[in-house]
Amino acid sequence: MVASSEAALAGSPTRSDAEVVFNRDEGADNWRMRLRVPGWPRQTAPGQFAMLTPGGLTKLSSDPLLPRPMAVYRVFTEAGGAEVEFLYKVVGRGTTLLSQAEAGEVVGVVGPLGQGFSLPPSKGKAVLVAGGTGVASVYELAALACEKSEVWLLMGARSAADLGNLEDFEALPLNLEIATEDGSRGHRGLVTELMGAAGLDGEEKLTLYACGPTPMMRAVAKLAAERGQRCFVSLENPMACGFGVCLGCAAPRSDGGFSLVCRDGPVFDACEIDWENL
Amino acid sequence: MTSDGAKPGAASVDTSVNVGGIQLRNPVLTASGTFGYGTEFAAFMDLRKIGGFVAKSLTLEPRSGNMPARIVETPSGMMNAIGIENVGVEAFIHEKLPQIPEEVPVVASVFGTDPEMYAETCRRLSDVPQIKGLEINASCPHVKSGGIEFGQNPKVLAELVRVTRKATSIPLLIKLSPNVTSVAEMAKVCEAEGADGISLINTVQALEVNIETRRPVLRNVLGGLSGPAIRPIALRMVWQAAQAVKIPICGIGGIATGEDAVKFLLCGATAVQVGTANYVNPKAAQEVAEGLVAYAQAQGVSALRDLIGALELPESG
Repeated sequence: MVASSEAALAGSPTRSDAEVVFNRDEGADNWRMRLRVPGWPRQTAPGQFAMLTPGGLTKLSSDPLLPRPMAVYRVFTEAGGAEVEFLYKVVGRGTTLLSQAEAGEVVGVVGPLGQGFSLPPSKGKAVLVAGGTGVASVYELAALACEKSEVWLLMGARSAADLGNLEDFEALPLNLEIATEDGSRGHRGLVTELMGAAGLDGEEKLTLYACGPTPMMRAVAKLAAERGQRCFVSLENPMACGFGVCLGCAAPRSDGGFSLVCRDGPVFDACEIDWENL
Repeated sequence: MTSDGAKPGAASVDTSVNVGGIQLRNPVLTASGTFGYGTEFAAFMDLRKIGGFVAKSLTLEPRSGNMPARIVETPSGMMNAIGIENVGVEAFIHEKLPQIPEEVPVVASVFGTDPEMYAETCRRLSDVPQIKGLEINASCPHVKSGGIEFGQNPKVLAELVRVTRKATSIPLLIKLSPNVTSVAEMAKVCEAEGADGISLINTVQALEVNIETRRPVLRNVLGGLSGPAIRPIALRMVWQAAQAVKIPICGIGGIATGEDAVKFLLCGATAVQVGTANYVNPKAAQEVAEGLVAYAQAQGVSALRDLIGALELPESG
């Protein structure tokens, strides 16, 4: 479980209509949107998320009905709220509508929600494995972790174009390694194949983090268990509310029963998850 | 707008209603299963601005619910098959309820797999001062009747109402299933067996399919459809039930705005329950209550109860 002090730091979530500052296509259906969110708390834990409703909360559309959970990418705190940035991929009707929101229009926001990442121990080593849109969940973690720890960020995508804009990551003092399935950039193959390259296989004081497709996270969790290394994952189950009420996002636990991805996660210690049934 | 949605200088509106002995400051409740145990909404709204809430269905012992996938979005709605995951009646009374402001009326929803389980849960809830009423979730398959839902067979439903009525003297509402041929018949059964009111509708039984995997989307195969997609069905059934019985009705089904709630009152509901909209907008129930007042003021209606059953039908012939 994530330390409760981080939840306290995160503060109360807001529910508000936020103004779009910008919303732009960065290629290959990867979009970057920045919202000015009134009432956003001063502290956001890395790895928290928000529920986004195109068009805002006061004039609800009934179709599509549900808000979309979206990882908080970066937060720029300001008086009375914050500017919050999201990276997202246009994959369906909800994200298509989101991509049509222009500067000055509103998007409904409920957040920040959930439990974020625990940072690696000071002067420790951390390997972050991010696949596809999973990169959006790990930017704030990477930025905080590399202040006090040595950080490797292993990023995977189908092709170079799918990686999107990496400038923010390239500006951080960390070891960035890339894998693409078509070999158009970096290692040709799966991102998990880079995990041996850092030469940290036997390093017990290493913390692993993973966010991306379930097969990728399952592979990282398995490796961590074999190596006896601590591993945190960020899950992405479908959810209707985001704050522990619909009970739709239940993830089976290794000790039986369920955890809610929205309330108890999205970040979990990998050994708490029943990967067979997830 | 003031706290009740009244415009400054506008005429005040009497919003109070009584649902089978449950006195409410306004007719807006929240539907069971969509409002948790109330505590989850404290960050987003003032619970004292709604009539009250109906808590997640409770069973005698805690239940952990179904394996995922449990929900799926559908056109103007969603389906769920959660499986009555809940903390159990004792944890609700001792751990959840103390977190709710005392002035907020709470209706406890009760679920079981045989009538005696329902009755025992009712007995445990009946002496708790903050619980102003019970709502029987009759959409569970009855184990001893071969798995048929209590709410789908008039004889099975009558037995359930009779047994739970004997178990409690506080207001008793029966939540009816829409998955029946005649909701009027089911409503009459509830009235005859001494229920104080009825709530309808529960979710509409539904199925969604993934054509890539050729499997049902939900692990449970079938799920319950909710949201704006079912609102016209719910209105029809509330109207039919209101013709059939004199006990008050809580209208439920896709209500997201004050205008939606007005329609249910006109069709004969004394109160409404906001459900799926709570997921999308955690302040939805409060906004529905404010919207009802705004409608009444615009229409010159001095008491919301004057809207109950005020639907005007075309002349016959």
